[in-house]
Amino acid sequence: MAMSEVEMTKQQTALAEAGKKKKPVASTFKEMYLGPIVAFVLFISLWQLIPVVLGLPHYILPKPTDVWEATVSDWALLAEAIRITIFESVIGFLLSAVIGIGVSVLLASSKILERSIYPYAIILQTIPVVAVAPIVVIWFGAGFNSIVVISFLIGFFPVISNTLMGLNSADKNMDELFTLYNASRWQRMWKLRIPAAMPYIMAGLKISCTLSIVGAIVGEYVAGIGGGNGGLGYAITVAAIQVKTSFLFSCGIAAALLGISFYLLISLFSKMMLGSWHESAMKSEK
Amino acid sequence: MTIEQKQAVYFQNVSKMYNTGTIALNHFDFPVEEGEFISFLGPSGCGKSTALRMVAGLGSPTTGDVTVFGNTPEDLIKNTNDIAFVFQDANLLPWRSVLDNVLLPLELRGGNKKEKKEAAVKVLEMVGLKDHLKSYPRQLSGGMRMRVSIARALAAKPKLLLMDEPFAALDEITRQTLQMELLDIWEKEKMTVLFVTHNVYEAVFLSSKIAVMSARPGRLSSVIDVNLPYPREPGMRTDPAFSKYVGIASASLENHEQRKETV
Ligand SMILES: Nc1ncnc2c1ncn2[C@@H]1O[C@H](COP(=O)(O)OP(=O)(O)OP(=O)(O)O)[C@@H](O)[C@H]1O
Ligand SMILES: [Mg+2]
Repeated sequence: MAMSEVEMTKQQTALAEAGKKKKPVASTFKEMYLGPIVAFVLFISLWQLIPVVLGLPHYILPKPTDVWEATVSDWALLAEAIRITIFESVIGFLLSAVIGIGVSVLLASSKILERSIYPYAIILQTIPVVAVAPIVVIWFGAGFNSIVVISFLIGFFPVISNTLMGLNSADKNMDELFTLYNASRWQRMWKLRIPAAMPYIMAGLKISCTLSIVGAIVGEYVAGIGGGNGGLGYAITVAAIQVKTSFLFSCGIAAALLGISFYLLISLFSKMMLGSWHESAMKSEK
Repeated sequence: MTIEQKQAVYFQNVSKMYNTGTIALNHFDFPVEEGEFISFLGPSGCGKSTALRMVAGLGSPTTGDVTVFGNTPEDLIKNTNDIAFVFQDANLLPWRSVLDNVLLPLELRGGNKKEKKEAAVKVLEMVGLKDHLKSYPRQLSGGMRMRVSIARALAAKPKLLLMDEPFAALDEITRQTLQMELLDIWEKEKMTVLFVTHNVYEAVFLSSKIAVMSARPGRLSSVIDVNLPYPREPGMRTDPAFSKYVGIASASLENHEQRKETV
């Protein structure tokens, strides 16, 4: 995960910089990409050297070339695992987005409801979902259903807390303007509160999309595969038992790449939703 | 017919204490005739905004009564578009285009879509923004944003326009242009305007009557009838009669500052 975060910020600053000033392609390339590329090559070379120099066997620290070989030879297995994990986490994410936003709008439309339930939403958020995962498995059975539920649960709370915060972020003067024009509760919700909440909702979705992958993988650790084909989590468990360390690295890297792609996709979606009209889009993207 | 039914706005012995204990208004008594352009002039914190917000039903008096065209502000807001409010900052919805911002009050009240659009375009034309219907607020200058805000207030054809220091954040040139435009609109539309400012020149240039207020606790200290003819021209600012009123208004403000110091 740490790795993917580094990747993410790199991408983000790159995008922000590119948006700010248009420069000749050559110098932009030098400034933006040369550094990271050099760092990457150095890192890989070091990684390749260290096991050789220290004489570490490949099941302790595989070299990049070992990882590459493992990836190629077990590609069918890996691709299938990735496909399944994508499927599980996309469903988990969509559920947390739809249910999270829906529940928030319902909660926010009644002050009493919001006041009485919001504190629990916050407390629930602090429960490590991994800790309750076995309960989910008892309720939903081993396999796909439980995995999706765990992925959903992990992504759900960031969405709900961000959306609720956003729904209450509308400017006080604007709120009074709506009072002055005798706006109904739903007009206020649709024409003021939800549009004002958009940047917050998008921020919530960005957090939740990477978490949904974590959820799916953790879900597979805990819920097994229930007779079906296994995703990355299952592949990792199996590879760990067989001490296929190189393949473990392949799985880890695949998971990281998956997280990054998912995040970039949601960022793009967020830009499309906000970019053209929302001032805060520019602020929050930086 | 009682007296207050002839008034556009009637403050009857209004006092307001916030729950922090601040007394923002103290026995504020003031009638506003229909069709007048009234300025509330006073130092910061004297309760100008408090008074204006009460007229819009955004806060109610602790004691006393505010009536607008013989009704409570709340009733008027519920049933009519008679009251419009312009805030100090333009207060536009950033995700809506200029046209859609002006359409907002009309949208919230329901009604015929095409007519609404025509009305919105008409007021935008009136404030000189016909060419910016599709722009977004962030693409406009401060002065243009304020124009949109005024257009939005006018879109629903209010009978009473409330403005809380609408030009305070603008540069002098833009402010003077907008003052002229506002007077034009006022004369054309024959509305009543309540205008809050702490700029003496602005108050004299715009108003038919100035209510000078003093602070702590907020009360009405004097009312100045500005007998300068409308339409008012920019040249008037150098007129001796104009200076005379500026002198009267300033003296009225200062008197109270001094009196407070000696107390
Ligand atoms: N919501 C509030 N709660 C508590 N006190 C308030 C509130 N609003 C205003 N006050 C206090 O009431 C007094 C009058 O405030 P008000 O905003 O009406 O003044 P003002 O004349 O509009 O001042 P300014 O020229 O600075 O806008 C001030 O002392 C202010 O601190
Ligand atoms: Mg004020």
